[in-house]
Amino acid sequence: MRKRFKEKRRIVIKVGTSSLSYKNGRMNFQRIAKLAYVLSALRSRNLEIILVSSGAIGVGAGRIGMLDKPRELAKKQALAAIGQAELMRIYQKFFEEYNQIVAQVLLTKDIMTVPARHENAKNTLLKLLSMGIIPIINENDTISTFEIEFGDNDTLSANVATLVSADLLILLSDIDGLYSADPKKQTNAEIIRSVDKITPELEKLATGTSASFSTGGMVTKIAAAKICLDAQIDTLITNGNDPSVIFDILEGKEIGTHFVANNNELIYKN
Amino acid sequence: MCESRIVVRIEISTLSSADGKFNHQKMDRLAMVLSNLNNSGKQLIVVSSGAIALGIDKLKLARQLQSYTDMQAAAAIGQAELIRFYQHYFDQYNQIVAQVLLTGDIMDNPIRVKNTQNTFDELLNMNIIPIVNENDTVSTEDIELDDNYPLALNVAKITRADIILIKMDTNSTFIIQPRDSAMAKLVHDETSLLKEIESSCREIKETGREEFTFPSAIGEISFN
Repeated sequence: MRKRFKEKRRIVIKVGTSSLSYKNGRMNFQRIAKLAYVLSALRSRNLEIILVSSGAIGVGAGRIGMLDKPRELAKKQALAAIGQAELMRIYQKFFEEYNQIVAQVLLTKDIMTVPARHENAKNTLLKLLSMGIIPIINENDTISTFEIEFGDNDTLSANVATLVSADLLILLSDIDGLYSADPKKQTNAEIIRSVDKITPELEKLATGTSASFSTGGMVTKIAAAKICLDAQIDTLITNGNDPSVIFDILEGKEIGTHFVANNNELIYKN
Repeated sequence: MCESRIVVRIEISTLSSADGKFNHQKMDRLAMVLSNLNNSGKQLIVVSSGAIALGIDKLKLARQLQSYTDMQAAAAIGQAELIRFYQHYFDQYNQIVAQVLLTGDIMDNPIRVKNTQNTFDELLNMNIIPIVNENDTVSTEDIELDDNYPLALNVAKITRADIILIKMDTNSTFIIQPRDSAMAKLVHDETSLLKEIESSCREIKETGREEFTFPSAIGEISFN
């Protein structure tokens, strides 16, 4: 089943705040540098890469020396406006080390509902990919309050994968994958390596996991995988501690949880 | 010192040389003048073009792009570059900036207007200068118009600004448009700019009039 990863050409990679920062909320430059290296290396192999990156609010808070993240919506939006500029500056810096041009694309939920928006976003992203550029996508939090409160970049990344007809969505977070039980409570909990259908039981399993201090948690990752499965796009959930895990994934190594799209082999077996 | 809120409209010509190339010296000067204005107690919101031109430069593309999609792609690259330059030069004057990308239809959605207004208020209260541009990736309105005055006007309405600095050419020309006057003021140096902003601000506060009489298009500006 993992052989198919060697064939992937157009890949959407989503990194969460937890992959970009330390637990104290400050930026993990080493990790961002590594991510820039890995993605630039993939570009050298002529793969098409889209990065969906969270982190703007946290970076904004750091920029103005705010220690605790605010709860008030307008404050979060203001921090997002400060932090998004800063985040892009940091990405540009690291990607420039590898002579890789990046672009910033800020999207709102209406890309999936307003046809003109949908077309514009799709055309721009495909154009950027054809030029060898890595688009870095985030939600346009300044104008869309809904996303900050209820949304997450997991869903956004799945929508982007659908928008550009990607071959693969990789969700990098602070958990190794989907577990058979909450690994913090049960020692015999095991990673589920492969999922070909999202059942109510599976969704229930996701709500039980405690690793959910970022916006998304496992529930939104399952929802993202569901969007991709419906669009016949493979999804992989794994830990983003070491971004070079992406190399291993693309070599077909048994890493994380694979939500298997268009899985003819399994259907025949059953 | 008279407190007021000012929208500063920056065109690509404000930031580029005669040959169309991005001019770092001009941007440095602009950052200094605006940081200085901010230090004097004025709240500033910058509405800036330049993303597409910078994207074209970065990609070393021909100036005449073929399609909207080309321009949108250039904007996505150039906006990242543009906001980096703003950060870089404002950093020299210890001034924090933020990035706000809006679409032309923002005024159609009252909830979005309210959200955006709250964000601007929050940023301005923190003494941060928001740098606003059209979100060209998802819309072509601004590209089609090729003029960012409509966006500046929308931002002025959203933030209930007192003044629009319609032209901000640090070398020669400044046009000040107070919100309660049909007449714009034209000045030619920074000292006069500060003086005129101050006097416009006082006039607005004295009359206490609430009306917005900003010209609806750039062609409708008239001078004393």
